Amino acid sequence: MKQLSIVDLSGAVVVVALLALTPVLLNSNYFTGVLTVCVIYAIWAASWDFMSGLTGRENFGHSLFIGAGAYTAGFLATVWYANPWYSLPTAVVVAIAFSLIVGFPTLRLRGPYFALAMLSASAIMQRLCLIFWEYSGGEEGLYGLDPLIQSPLHYYWFVLAILVAAVAILTALAQSHWGLLLRAIRGDEATCQAAGINVTFYKIASLTISAAFAGLGGALYAHYQLQVSPPLFSVVVSITVIIMVYVGGIGSIYGPALGAIMLTLLTELLRTFGEYRLWVYTLTLMLILFLLPNGLIAPLWRRLTERFR
Amino acid sequence: MLEILIYGAVSSAIYAMLAVGFTLIFGVARILNLAHGAFYALGAYAAYAFTSLLHWPLFIAAPLAVLLVALFGVLMERFLVRPLRYSQLAVLMITLSVSLAVEQGLFITFGSEYRNVPSFVADKISIGGVDIGGQRLLTLIAGVLVLLLLWLFIQRTRLGAAILAVSQDPEAAQYMGIPTNRIFSVVMAISAGTAALAGVLVSPFLTVQPTMGLLPMVKAFAIVIVGGLGSIPGSILAALLLGYSETIVAYLISSSWTELVSLVAVVITLMIKPSGLLGRRAAF
Repeated sequence: MKQLSIVDLSGAVVVVALLALTPVLLNSNYFTGVLTVCVIYAIWAASWDFMSGLTGRENFGHSLFIGAGAYTAGFLATVWYANPWYSLPTAVVVAIAFSLIVGFPTLRLRGPYFALAMLSASAIMQRLCLIFWEYSGGEEGLYGLDPLIQSPLHYYWFVLAILVAAVAILTALAQSHWGLLLRAIRGDEATCQAAGINVTFYKIASLTISAAFAGLGGALYAHYQLQVSPPLFSVVVSITVIIMVYVGGIGSIYGPALGAIMLTLLTELLRTFGEYRLWVYTLTLMLILFLLPNGLIAPLWRRLTERFR
Repeated sequence: MLEILIYGAVSSAIYAMLAVGFTLIFGVARILNLAHGAFYALGAYAAYAFTSLLHWPLFIAAPLAVLLVALFGVLMERFLVRPLRYSQLAVLMITLSVSLAVEQGLFITFGSEYRNVPSFVADKISIGGVDIGGQRLLTLIAGVLVLLLLWLFIQRTRLGAAILAVSQDPEAAQYMGIPTNRIFSVVMAISAGTAALAGVLVSPFLTVQPTMGLLPMVKAFAIVIVGGLGSIPGSILAALLLGYSETIVAYLISSSWTELVSLVAVVITLMIKPSGLLGRRAAF
């Protein structure tokens, strides 16, 4: 297993410093908000990558955990009027519960079952939100969440700190013995089983970790938007995250996080395209699938830093 | 009681048409086609465009809609899916992006409003005291006919035998001189065509809007899991099961609970018998 090199670390420090200082230099609340969304998407992309990038079990319903975390924050704020700081740990717990409920029946299985089951679970949750509108607020969702931190800039730094922590924890796990096992599962599950590895346990545990960070990101998003609505559960959210991971380079954790930031900024620039935005997105994905099957950011970084290693 | 029997049969027929195509393309070409719901939506919108906007007669509009969507499916398989077949994830991603592109395309061209398509059969028919719309009855009859024809085609023709051979072992089939790639195209055409036909038939009595394909696709997937991935009789059986249980739930409890039926069915199947009712292979 390769260790983190000085080059990688200094690269990370430069990127984080850039991200932290840009809003100070631009001094615009609008841009700080855009960057906050970028960083939250980065948390989602990194968490997707930990489970699906490493084990090769593609999760097509990451929005299930995102929405679960966000709605937990929403319910806490609007039904129980709880202190907003409770919503972060509660969202993590709820997302973990969801991952166990979906993970146990589906992750024992081989093949495409997991991808499809996650896709349907998130689609059905979105429907349920509309069906039980008395409790979930229906199309409008839940309003009136309190911000965690009043100042947008301070909130941005808080979210950025969580992203750095998330990427650090997930990378550390991915570089550890545990991560090696997950990669081995992607390579050949049957051989892993034959070698006495409890494959199901590792798959479910990694889904749980992935869901925990996704739920945390969902709650952060809810406290940024100050409202939650059913589109958080939508397949579009999941696929957006997957596209970001693809652009960043699947399986590298830092790549997807940077890919998310890059693509969210790109989406902001494309705002003038209005309705055509998702088309641009889909087209980007198709081009990347055909031209750069390993993604853009992580392979590029490896190429650039090759000579310094 | 009779109401449940008839309405259950209608929804079963719709589900069966969707699920059979979904399972066929997976069983033969190993393509998990996430654009299947998009075919269904495209069929409904083509019916809307041809009948409501262009005022073409029905006997031209309906077959043309089905043919166009089948062609779309074949082109998608040939140019987008086939180059990426080396990776299952890439196939899932490309079909999902096609489905999103279609959804957005429909949204941009037709807007998000619900569209109405005139009924093909306006009369109501009374069976044993139960009034049923002619369009629903037509859907039921057409669904049964299509499935019957498909079964005859696969069991009785040379091309059908070739499809079966490829589904059992693509490599061995190729060695026997079966052009597997051409078989994939044929199967894709059948799969997209049946989904589009379902869309055309339901367009007068279900809501036609850009996102209409997603939920039926989720149902089709549920049926395919319950019936066994790749098994056509299994998916017909499961379509009957799901169609009837949804109708019963709608009558006994409330129609808002029907969405849960498919989810529960999938979870129970995956826990008890992951290969499905009539699945040929174990899933794990």
